[in-house]
Amino acid sequence: MSVEAIGGSMRLSAPRPRLRLEHFVMGGTILALIILIVLPLLFLLFGSVRGDHGLNLNYFGEVISGRLYRQALFNSLILGAWTGLFSLAIGLVLAWAVSRTDVPGKTLIQITASLSYLSPPFLTAIAFVYLFSPNAGLINVFLRDVAGLPWLTFNIFSMTGLVLVTVLHTFPFVYLLASSALTSVDASYEEAAQILGASKIRTALSVTAPLVAPAILSGTLLAFVNAIALFGSQAIIGLPGRIVTLPTRIYALFDYPAEYGLASALSLIFVVITVAALYLQRAFLARRSYVTLAGKGARPQLIALGPARWFLFGFSVLAFLIAIVAPYTTLLAVSLSKSWGLAFWKGLTLDNYHFILVEYNVTQRAILNSLTLAIIAATLAVLLGAIIGWIDLRTRMPGRKLLDYTALIPLGLPGIVVAVALIQFWLAMPLALYGTMGILLLAYVGRYIPLGVRAANTSLRQIDPSLEESAQILGASWLTTMREITFPLIRPGLFAGWLLVFVPVIQELSASILLFSPTSITLAVAVYNLYETGAVERVGALAIINMLIIGAAIVVANKLGGGSITKANSAREVAA
Amino acid sequence: MAGISIKALSKSFGARDERLAAVSELDLEIKDNQFVTLLGPSGCGKTTTLRLIAGYIVPDAGTIHVDGKLLSAPGGVVPPDGRGMGMVFQNYAVWPHKTVFENVVFGLKLRKIPKHDARRKVAEALALVNLTGLEQRYPNELSGGQQQRVALARSLVVEPEILLLDEPLSNLDAKLRERMRTELKVLQRRTGITFVYVTHDQAEALALSDQIAVIHGGRLQQFGTPQEVYSRPANRLVADFMGLVNLVSGRVRDIRDGMGRVEIGNALAIDIALPAGTLVGDSVEVAIRPENIHLGKANGSQISAKVTDRTFLGNISEYYATLDSGQTLRVQTHPQQVFELNEPVTVEIDAAHCSVFRA
Repeated sequence: MSVEAIGGSMRLSAPRPRLRLEHFVMGGTILALIILIVLPLLFLLFGSVRGDHGLNLNYFGEVISGRLYRQALFNSLILGAWTGLFSLAIGLVLAWAVSRTDVPGKTLIQITASLSYLSPPFLTAIAFVYLFSPNAGLINVFLRDVAGLPWLTFNIFSMTGLVLVTVLHTFPFVYLLASSALTSVDASYEEAAQILGASKIRTALSVTAPLVAPAILSGTLLAFVNAIALFGSQAIIGLPGRIVTLPTRIYALFDYPAEYGLASALSLIFVVITVAALYLQRAFLARRSYVTLAGKGARPQLIALGPARWFLFGFSVLAFLIAIVAPYTTLLAVSLSKSWGLAFWKGLTLDNYHFILVEYNVTQRAILNSLTLAIIAATLAVLLGAIIGWIDLRTRMPGRKLLDYTALIPLGLPGIVVAVALIQFWLAMPLALYGTMGILLLAYVGRYIPLGVRAANTSLRQIDPSLEESAQILGASWLTTMREITFPLIRPGLFAGWLLVFVPVIQELSASILLFSPTSITLAVAVYNLYETGAVERVGALAIINMLIIGAAIVVANKLGGGSITKANSAREVAA
Repeated sequence: MAGISIKALSKSFGARDERLAAVSELDLEIKDNQFVTLLGPSGCGKTTTLRLIAGYIVPDAGTIHVDGKLLSAPGGVVPPDGRGMGMVFQNYAVWPHKTVFENVVFGLKLRKIPKHDARRKVAEALALVNLTGLEQRYPNELSGGQQQRVALARSLVVEPEILLLDEPLSNLDAKLRERMRTELKVLQRRTGITFVYVTHDQAEALALSDQIAVIHGGRLQQFGTPQEVYSRPANRLVADFMGLVNLVSGRVRDIRDGMGRVEIGNALAIDIALPAGTLVGDSVEVAIRPENIHLGKANGSQISAKVTDRTFLGNISEYYATLDSGQTLRVQTHPQQVFELNEPVTVEIDAAHCSVFRA
């Protein structure tokens, strides 16, 4: 009885759950996600159904029945389908060559895939325009006027040209996923089939193919999703060829007078396509789990190709030449030439660099703006990602899964849609954010927060919770535990994640094109504007500067974080 | 020093079904300065109990008091960093980015111990676990046993009143495990800290503990000294878990002064204390440990079993003796006592060391 009494009196002093620092940090993060993602999306939805007299579906009706919009939708799907198909063909061949054959020059293939993935796709597009535009493209001019082979010329301003340029950016998705799947199938699975009497072909069809097919399909869908979202190449190559796609059609709706309602409705249709494709991709990937179980220890079966390996080698060299050498050397040559043309090498100069770096304050501002934005956005995205990942993996907070899913939503949002949503939201707010650096920052952080979450998740999963718990039981507060234990341990992963955000932000065009103002102009927008004015050589110089910044970021992050970019963009990072 | 008082503690993880609770209505009084083991198979709730004591988990019901101070109740818990306990984890949880010294000094820094004193205390703690000289090593330069001792030193250096240990020896090889076992026991005696030790290894529990709490299915099955738990198991679960046991069914033939005559098969009967309320004719289960059965050479009429299998294990021999009734007993004998396969033998059971449970 006395024990009961003591228990009863103690209940009065029962430890109340106190508000601690971590609760404020968690609350702040949730609030940030609401402002970055949830509210803009709600306003996008609202904007698409808001009429003069209450809610209606007029905008959707117009978008679905209008010829222009249907044509854009159709073109986007065609582009996505062809790009997916070619990405599959190229990515799979290269992946198979690297992971299952004795092809020489495997490093070359890996470099090709990594650089293609990191290169700004609109710069590749510009480079190809300078080579293959119907009248002035260097190679076309050469073939027509010098070699006398006009029938060999190639018009880049066509669906074929658009697919070509887009594939150069998207085939790495298939490559990365396929090669990771192919390397993780242990030879013992195939040997087990062979010892039972299955031929090589039979083994490949009945054992290997089913094991790796989900990963390959998932890579193809990712290529599709990324292809249709690229505003830059579709504007640079599609518009002159009169191929209007969803992003360029949405962009056109912002010409005065801006059609916010139509843009919102079209954006939502765009989102539906993207989300459906990503849903399929996830479903395929989920079936892959038994392959990853084999883990890093797997020993894949290699095939000795004999003389055929030189054929494969030739293919990979060709890929390297088209995807890397052609665009990079073109842009470099353009940037150094006085006047781009067949005789460009006669007047090499650094004037173009001088112009954009010293004389022209717009490009100066753009470079400075983009650097500032990319550094802040990458830091914020990774910090928020780390907190969201931590909440998901380390707490039992109700709704933490919802938080995680919310942070992944932007994966399904093309850049231009993010811009439309932010415009809808912030135009309705009393805060004049539209046209400032602020709205660009929100767009970048919101768009790339999934990369931050993923980087943090991957790192946190590798750290046993007991490492944090043992600091806690020794008396460490949440902040001390984070500072002393968690953060130092996940730092390499966070640096890799930081880089994964920095690189796309410094080249971001799809959202920036709708959000910039003369004061908040960014690097990619400046390139695009210069390109529009026809300042060919100066575009080249600015493009090269853009590439150099990306290269420098990779070097710095590698030095600081100890992780390498190839580690960072491993298949899991791309696909998860 | 501190005692722990656990009352009606329950915790389930999401499962609606009461029977699937990780811990269910657990009562435990752990006295000051004791080595107490929570013993049970994996998934029995022993680690959950330990994490409830540490404050990582909020209970669904019940309370935990330490020295009369309420630390855990369903409404909220004093967080782990406010409990002043120590904990040693199964995977050591030695921080890989800190040296041995930095690992051990961490808790002292939090307590704002002056540098000079901290240095001395770390040296003492490392000496206590025989790690002197390894201060500047990183964990990846240490063996598993050394890492385990770093974890111990890190917990001990802050002089906790209670040290929680979650299967701390399970990742070590057999020899090292035995040595660390001895060291832990010595350490507990020397420091007087209350040890709460989780393990699934009954031999470890028997060797180390002052008291053993046998937990199964989230419920406390028995709480007692190693001798009590081993030779007077409270139920068949405990009997089964505490080492090898033959659980054979029998029937009560006769009862006299609380002692009953239980018939096992046709030719074997033992006189044994029965649980209260047992009636003549009841079916019961008898728990007989292999070392409490003695085989003898059969001399004509006294045959009661036949040897059906035998295994030589070095320090003992193990036999399977099959009774007429078809029931088989596992028997341990001195290695020099040899029986042949299919040899008829007599079976004698040391009834004083057996237990009866109602079937």
